[in-house]
Amino acid sequence: MGLYSYLLISIIIFTIGVYGIITQRSGIKILMCIELLLNSANLNLVAFSSYNGNSTGQVFALFSIAIAAAEAAIGFAILVALFRLRDTINLDNINILRW
Amino acid sequence: MSLNINFAMLAPEILLTVLAFVIIIMGLLISNKSKNMLGYLSAAGILASLVYVIGNGMTEKVSYFYDSLVVDPLSQVFKLIFLIVSLIAVIASIEYFKDNRNQDEYYALILMSTVGMMVVASANDLIALFVGFELASMSTYVLAGFEKNNPSSLEAALKYFIIGSLSSALMLFGMSLIYGITSTTNIPGIIEFFRSAPLMAESSLGVLAMIFLVAGFGFKMALVPFHMWAPDTYEGSPSVVSSLLAAGSKKMGFVAAFRVLVLALVAIRADVHFTFAILAIITMTYGNVVAVSQRSIKRMLAYSSIAQAGYIALAFVVTTPMSIAGGILLALGHALMKGGAFIAVAVVGYMVLSDNKNAKNIDDLENFAGLGKRAPITALGFFVFFLALAGIPPSAGFIGKLFLFYSITVQAISLSSSWLLLVVVIAILNSALSIYYYARVIKYMYVLPPKGERIKEPTAYVVAILIAVIGTIGIGLYPEPFINMAMNAAQVLGV
Repeated sequence: MGLYSYLLISIIIFTIGVYGIITQRSGIKILMCIELLLNSANLNLVAFSSYNGNSTGQVFALFSIAIAAAEAAIGFAILVALFRLRDTINLDNINILRW
Repeated sequence: MSLNINFAMLAPEILLTVLAFVIIIMGLLISNKSKNMLGYLSAAGILASLVYVIGNGMTEKVSYFYDSLVVDPLSQVFKLIFLIVSLIAVIASIEYFKDNRNQDEYYALILMSTVGMMVVASANDLIALFVGFELASMSTYVLAGFEKNNPSSLEAALKYFIIGSLSSALMLFGMSLIYGITSTTNIPGIIEFFRSAPLMAESSLGVLAMIFLVAGFGFKMALVPFHMWAPDTYEGSPSVVSSLLAAGSKKMGFVAAFRVLVLALVAIRADVHFTFAILAIITMTYGNVVAVSQRSIKRMLAYSSIAQAGYIALAFVVTTPMSIAGGILLALGHALMKGGAFIAVAVVGYMVLSDNKNAKNIDDLENFAGLGKRAPITALGFFVFFLALAGIPPSAGFIGKLFLFYSITVQAISLSSSWLLLVVVIAILNSALSIYYYARVIKYMYVLPPKGERIKEPTAYVVAILIAVIGTIGIGLYPEPFINMAMNAAQVLGV
């Protein structure tokens, strides 16, 4: 598999993530789609790192995996707090703030 | 490229990080009642860092950790902005979160987000930039939802979280493409590569990477069409946090854009100035037009902050040293004016809640009636901030706008380009339009009769507002040192 196959997979994952964020209404599913976006970028970084023959990309990917984990934790914390208060995490019902 | 082991120039970041952990540990050990002292402790720490940054002034460039962090005039100016903003926000929080049993976490998060912004200001490597960006963003997601029994605060946090993490994912994707093209993450290395191989930068992959980066930074800067989270988040968050978000976190997007985009644009000599001009004009016009119809003052301030982001984005339209300096000056001024204005909204909230515990829509325009009699210092603060935001001299807003518009006019004359002049004219018309909705609030404060007794304004709020007022007017009266500072900072970019 050459570089292009990896990039193709990463673009497909990225597109699925963007599509999901636009169409899904459940907070959890949106969180999963954000993880897809971050992981498609990680795949890119690792593929490019192997292609370019230097390891910076792999280091970057490790950093971004750790950050994605922290981000997911915060996202779930916000969703749990919201669920306790409103009994829903459906974004269509979360509409107090609007002009 | 060597390991510098003299960390003296990084002392502000180190101090704040250590302080954040100390505050978390102290929070576990001390009783809920004595947690009120943690606010004074964090304010003292931020003040010490601020004094240290000012004392070092405009230093020579020093680099750390194999060139991944640099301390130079550009980073110093933005560190100054971030530290002033978080100082104002922390002082006001001493009153806002008084007797809250989670204060320790609150102050630790504010310190962490400040450290994140400061890391972004001195980032010289895409990895450091991304980590700093995420540190600041994640701390502010939690801060936005800090009133966890208030549905609108949580809603603000959720919206901010979804849009914010989407923007960091886009940014990371753009960075991965740039790493793929250049096989380095060091920003000067990337610029060097693009300079030597401009064809790579103009390839479709290079353009795609730039679009992703612009989108990622654009979300933080709240440029139209990446602005939709800003009004909701600023309105729903606690007012002191809104002030940190609007005044600090937004500038983080700008410093990242200055570091990466400006250099890249200059290196590839691409003709994207027109794109930025359209982006800036749409942003300022949209912000000002929508702000006119707002009844909620926090929402009005949010839209006016979108408009101000449009003005600052004019710096990318010509990318001369002078326009960058103008952008930095306006960023500094906007940090003081907007930070102060949100704190003043917090005082109005305090006033309304002391009248009636169950009041809804506490930042509604009606509550501003007769504010000049009920809370004179707050009303004076609003008066100064609103006139400064509209660009009336002598104020920081006037100096920044003057510098920015002048630099574009100079460039328009030297290139004899009529569309640049048109951009300036539209920007000035926008400034005129903004006076309308600021003047309406001033009319409510000073002309309409008050609806209640005069209140005693809490000292912490008064101190925070006065710092912002003195800063706003001070920069307007003695602009020379600040102009020199901004020019020095712009020279770092070598445009």
